[in-house]
Amino acid sequence: MNLPTNRRALLGGLLAAASVPALAACSGGITSLEGQGTASGGGGSSEGGLTIGTANFTENQVLGYLYAAVLKAAGVEVTVRPNLGTREILIPALKGGDIDLLPEYQGALLHYVAPKAKATEEGEMQNALAMALPAGLQVLPYGKAEDSDAFVVTRETARKYGLVSLADLRRQNGRLVIGAAPEVKKREVGAVGLKSVYGVEFKEFKSLDSSGPLVKGALKKGDVDVANLFTTDTDIQANDWVVLTDPKNLIPGQHVVPLIADRKADSTVRKALARLGNALTTAQLTELNRQVDKDKKDPEDVANAYAERRGLLK
Amino acid sequence: MYELLENLGAWLAGGEQWSGSDGIATRLAEHLQYSLLATLIAAAIGLPLGLLIGHTGKGAFVAINLASFGRALPTVGLVVLVFLAGGLSMLPVYVALVALAVPAIVTNTYAGMTAVDPDVKDAARGQGMRGHQVLRQVELPLALPLIMTGLRLALIQVVATATIAAYVSFGGLGRYVFDGLAQRDLVQVLGGAVLVAVVAVALDLVLSGLQRLLFRHRTA
Amino acid sequence: MNIDWSWIGDHTDDLTTLTLSHLQAALTAVLLGVLISLPLAVLAHRIRPLRGFLLGLSNVLFTIPSIAIFVLLLPVSGLTRTTTVIGLTVYTLVVLLRNTVEGLDSVPVKVKEAAKAMGTRPLRTLLTVELPLALPVIMAGVRIATVMSISLVSVATYIGDGGLGQLFTDGFQRNFPTPVIVGVVLTLLLAVAADALLVALQYVLTPWRRRRA
Repeated sequence: MNLPTNRRALLGGLLAAASVPALAACSGGITSLEGQGTASGGGGSSEGGLTIGTANFTENQVLGYLYAAVLKAAGVEVTVRPNLGTREILIPALKGGDIDLLPEYQGALLHYVAPKAKATEEGEMQNALAMALPAGLQVLPYGKAEDSDAFVVTRETARKYGLVSLADLRRQNGRLVIGAAPEVKKREVGAVGLKSVYGVEFKEFKSLDSSGPLVKGALKKGDVDVANLFTTDTDIQANDWVVLTDPKNLIPGQHVVPLIADRKADSTVRKALARLGNALTTAQLTELNRQVDKDKKDPEDVANAYAERRGLLK
Repeated sequence: MYELLENLGAWLAGGEQWSGSDGIATRLAEHLQYSLLATLIAAAIGLPLGLLIGHTGKGAFVAINLASFGRALPTVGLVVLVFLAGGLSMLPVYVALVALAVPAIVTNTYAGMTAVDPDVKDAARGQGMRGHQVLRQVELPLALPLIMTGLRLALIQVVATATIAAYVSFGGLGRYVFDGLAQRDLVQVLGGAVLVAVVAVALDLVLSGLQRLLFRHRTA
Repeated sequence: MNIDWSWIGDHTDDLTTLTLSHLQAALTAVLLGVLISLPLAVLAHRIRPLRGFLLGLSNVLFTIPSIAIFVLLLPVSGLTRTTTVIGLTVYTLVVLLRNTVEGLDSVPVKVKEAAKAMGTRPLRTLLTVELPLALPVIMAGVRIATVMSISLVSVATYIGDGGLGQLFTDGFQRNFPTPVIVGVVLTLLLAVAADALLVALQYVLTPWRRRRA
């Protein structure tokens, strides 16, 4: 399969993977900045560069370019591959070596690797992740910023059916249509969990997109009654939509957390990403998303400008 | 690979997959609807155009080049463009599918018309036939095989491409491909792809049967 | 639908990169397609039973949605350029195989017999007589395959590649028409340019046709 078109990165990845044992010996003690680093702290090396993959929605791309900005400033060679698809596509690609680093969300990632996980508190989740992640992958310290899944209805729908929390949806079983990205149909933090935790059954699941134009358009038009959006989506406030509360904690905390292949996780990468994680707040991330979605700025430019402004490039 | 095929069997045989609003039967019907309607519209545009160009011999250069231009139109781009311009409806899908089908129909109709022996046309005119009579009674029957080839080619392409409807939230068999991609459920993707191929081949067989029927009628 | 001209001005570098990557994927696929289809077509031309099988198989492949092929290749070649190229190559084969076989069929039997009578060996006949005479039909196939590939590359945007196709998903997600329009226009220009080059190439490769004309 060695076509001339094959990405050089792939070859680089193979070489890097082959040289890991040799390098591990020298990179030795890992500096865990926050003391919340994961248990699986095998030595890797970002020498020779790393490839950041991002999922198919704006915020993930912003985060990917933020990672790139601080890593470049730390002297790491970085390639960003935006818009690769869903977690279901990205994690196998991370394992397979097509990408090395990926902006993730604690709770959603945990549910992906361990659907039965009970942890909801950040520290617990971080430990659970360290245990549950497949060999070769690790999470770095999580950041301040959070972006949760939210199940959202219009003000009108909320009034009509008396909806305040996810539990209220059950009274309308078989009557409401939910719109979300296709993967949410099979996810615990999605149709599966809504049924098992709240006993909610929808009339129909409409496959749309991740807090994108389809799902928001459908909610506006009334094609769906309930929409799965991200809490960092400024359209929720702008349209006066109602986020249903989650009394049974189906939706876990979703701190942004870097998921990285062991082969690339060295102290330079850890330090740079931890610094970014400690600086970036939810409000700031929301604002960066807005600049990309509404002002049509490039995620890369938005990320670089933020990193510069916050002094993260020094 | 073997495992994938085994799972495919289970997926196709699964009773719950077939019924309901997101069952295979519904998706199949949706897919047929999209494909047939789009091809019909494309035929309504492409056939008269191809016949006119072939009959008069005028505008052939422009039409053929436009057709190859049309072949280069990226379907994904076209769908997104019409969606951004006009909002969410089936319109973007139909525009893209029709744009895909028209070139094949026009070029083959035109090719069929030009393949008709000029002597035959002259002979018909010599017998006192008018332009439209020559077209209907001489050129059209002789050009029919190639015209049908164009229609069949267009239909196959449209059936395969109608998967795109799922990208902008609609149904059809593309639902399985796009959902399967998002969920990394390759069995579902394969199931969708196989069903699309079966639909395409089946429709092609129907059209070729129709073609044979038409010919028997002509020669009898 | 307004075009944001300043966006285009600010993104000439990105657009160049995407265009080149788009072209590279399409051309690699066509090149591989030609390399694979030539020997297969010769076999199909010589061995009758194989002909039906190969052409039938390529016709069935044509009915499978391109996006499905890309996705089904993920376990094999992952989120790489290789996946894009393999997927596109499959599609070029459909056109190339059929046209190459038809091209070989179109060579008059008398010409082949003449070559045989002159004691030319089969391989030499193929290379110096049959293929050159079949070239116009083969080149027609190459042109269709090239235009088709250039149009299809953008489908690979669903697996994170896709050259100019990335402009489509980007514009879609952000409700931003400018990148989409630019992507469509550049794809069309690429197709027209590639097609013109192929016509020129054919002109150079078949001097005998010029003299006759």
